[in-house]
Amino acid sequence: MLSRHAEDLYWLGRYVERAEDTARMLDVTFHHLLESPPAVEATAWRELVEILYLDQVFEGTLDRPTVSGYLVTDRDNPGSILSSVARARDNARGLRDRISTELWEAINVFYLELAAADLTLGVEQRAYALLGDIKSRCQLINGVAAQTMPRDEGYRFIVLGLMLERAEMTCRLLAIRYARLVNTGERMGFHAWVSVLKSVSAYEAYLKSHDASLDPTRVLEFLLLDPAFPRSVLYCLRQVEQQLERLTADGLQTDVGRAIGRVRARAEYCDVSSIAGEGLDSFLEELQTEIYQVADQVDLYFFRSGADLQLHTVQSV
Amino acid sequence: MLQFDEIHGPDGVRPHYQQLMDRLTGLGPAELTERFAMLESIFRTLGITFAVTGHEEGLERTWPMDLVPRIVPAGEWAHIEAGLIQRVRTLNLFLEDLYVGEQSAIHDGIIPRWVVETADGYVREAHGIGVPAGARCVVSGVDIVRDGEGTYRVLEDNLRVPSGISYVLENRVAMTRVLPVAFARHSIRPVNHYGSSLLRALRSAAPYSASADPTVVVLTPGVANSAYFEHAFLARQMGVELVEGRDLLVDDHRVYMRTTRGLDRVDVVYRRIGDEFLDPLVFRQDSLLGVPGLAGAARAGNVTIANAIGNGAADDKGVYPFVPALIRYFTGEEPILPNVATYLCWEPDQREVILERMDQLVIKPVAEAGGYGIVIGPHADDETLAATADAIRDNPRGYVAQEVVQLSTHPTFIDGALSPRHIDLRPFVISGETIEVIPGGLTRVALREGSLIVNSSQGGGSKDTWVVDDAPAEGELSSTPTEGTRAVSPR
Repeated sequence: MLSRHAEDLYWLGRYVERAEDTARMLDVTFHHLLESPPAVEATAWRELVEILYLDQVFEGTLDRPTVSGYLVTDRDNPGSILSSVARARDNARGLRDRISTELWEAINVFYLELAAADLTLGVEQRAYALLGDIKSRCQLINGVAAQTMPRDEGYRFIVLGLMLERAEMTCRLLAIRYARLVNTGERMGFHAWVSVLKSVSAYEAYLKSHDASLDPTRVLEFLLLDPAFPRSVLYCLRQVEQQLERLTADGLQTDVGRAIGRVRARAEYCDVSSIAGEGLDSFLEELQTEIYQVADQVDLYFFRSGADLQLHTVQSV
Repeated sequence: MLQFDEIHGPDGVRPHYQQLMDRLTGLGPAELTERFAMLESIFRTLGITFAVTGHEEGLERTWPMDLVPRIVPAGEWAHIEAGLIQRVRTLNLFLEDLYVGEQSAIHDGIIPRWVVETADGYVREAHGIGVPAGARCVVSGVDIVRDGEGTYRVLEDNLRVPSGISYVLENRVAMTRVLPVAFARHSIRPVNHYGSSLLRALRSAAPYSASADPTVVVLTPGVANSAYFEHAFLARQMGVELVEGRDLLVDDHRVYMRTTRGLDRVDVVYRRIGDEFLDPLVFRQDSLLGVPGLAGAARAGNVTIANAIGNGAADDKGVYPFVPALIRYFTGEEPILPNVATYLCWEPDQREVILERMDQLVIKPVAEAGGYGIVIGPHADDETLAATADAIRDNPRGYVAQEVVQLSTHPTFIDGALSPRHIDLRPFVISGETIEVIPGGLTRVALREGSLIVNSSQGGGSKDTWVVDDAPAEGELSSTPTEGTRAVSPR
């Protein structure tokens, strides 16, 4: 497969996942704040921007209208929902021969509807419905992809992008929101933990496998290591590893194979009770770094063939 | 002035159209209107559109195809086909002689050197770049018109990146859905082997050093290009990769494409971008569409670029008047398909006559395509004629003049009824080890009444073009399917 096509598919997966995660976390933050004292508002918005990895570029005030506008409708923000969906659509358009017509239509219709809607008004007056729509549209796209695409290289690159994006997102949620709750010893109790779990739609799944006592260490263990929950870091990393194993010609004996093996093993064999205390920050930081390294290696291995050659270049005129 | 209509002759409907006209009359106007709507909806659903140039926003229109097909009887087609093969064979030989041969056509005085070297598409850098089997025009589109006497004449040659073949194939599929009964009553030569013929020709032009199973790619400028639909269509029909410039790289004079499994060697590039954008090391430096080093790889004999670089030296409108002489020179035969009478503005005697007869002639800029810049004398106002006369005096090499060809007309479905409209024909010719003409081609129709400009970018439409073998398929008449209002695709 052409590297350009693979890269576009991979980013298609990432953009759709990013839009969904952004919508969910924004939704959770909204509703968390409705039931919280006004003093925590700025902190909550700052954390959200940080989890979405936009803290370096966001310059507005940390309040509801500014941050939500920035995350949903701002075309200048490359990470906004509108930008993500627009980019996913651009990619899909160039991939018309590689993806199913159903998948193209699901993405195209989603974008056209978003672009036509009054999103500013939507965010202000009916955020719950709007963000719910966005989440279900993203899920529809993933479902359509799963139901209409043959399990070939193309499909695997979509899943690879999606799972890597998701692993990153859950990891950052833990590093930022979870860590603050634990480190500050803030007695937010039940309410705060619910919102952490809901940020990755893990609340119901957690209750089913544990109970409503919401012990912080157990929440950490669940979001990090649950082998069956599709948004736990370990689950995502295993998925990434599985896709890479099929995608690499030489199996996992490559730089990209070693990178994913390393980080998956670090997660898989970590001792939650020992990292739940002092070592949590540094553990999560290393985990994140290693996930980024996997993304870098994916880029080098699949998308940059020939980058090591000394080729003719043209001076721009 | 004499006017030739394709369907209605002096004695009524021409015999080869009788079946079709009977069928269309039998369906009646209401049914035809419904079928026409079906046709439009087929193209809309398939998303077959084209961009109209000269508009700010890149206006997109659904491909306009007419309901009434054009029929070329087998006997006439044999004549056209032979003429096209003779012509394209000559043009391949001329280009080969010019760029890698002894330039004998120039030395022997068949065509002046300065005319060739001032042609807009002449490329000095193409000298010395060989093409296996001399297949420089792998795909040619030769525009043919029919004058008032019904004589087929060549109006111009397109030897660079002629487009339109995808519409020929899509028109045919649409026609079988919309008029299946009429279709079944004729014995129509198929066109859908185009992809495999093109692939065979491209493979046969692969470098001698390539493996027995050479890799062919289609090079497109990208999604934003108005013909992207056709580029993707051709790649799909041939089962090869559709690449952009950034997918390719040249290392040590070899061409590779970047894939997820590393670099794959490429042997033949069927490029759909112009010479000037092909290789920023040789041509326009600001081109991001091309591949640095591509021309050098072709020169080293490691890749074949199709169509070859510099083909514009042979399809220039100033070179066109010399093609009949080139045919005699290279083949020793008389041209089978005549040119349209053309006068050279740079010859002082001819120029005087041209300037006197401006209001009776067609003036064409040599470097324009798509019907732009053409002045049709009898239809032009005095101001335009005066401006054109000045332009000719300023730059005589920049223009040629032709007698007005009263293009033949063909009944066309307009506003619920059949009315005559002017048409031309662009057949597609493939050069590989042999030269093959796809039966029929793209019939373009000027939808505006009286207009002679058929280009789709200027309000032209198209017709499915049937090359019909003479014996009508009588046996099928009795077993004709029911005359239902809804057509069912026979595919």
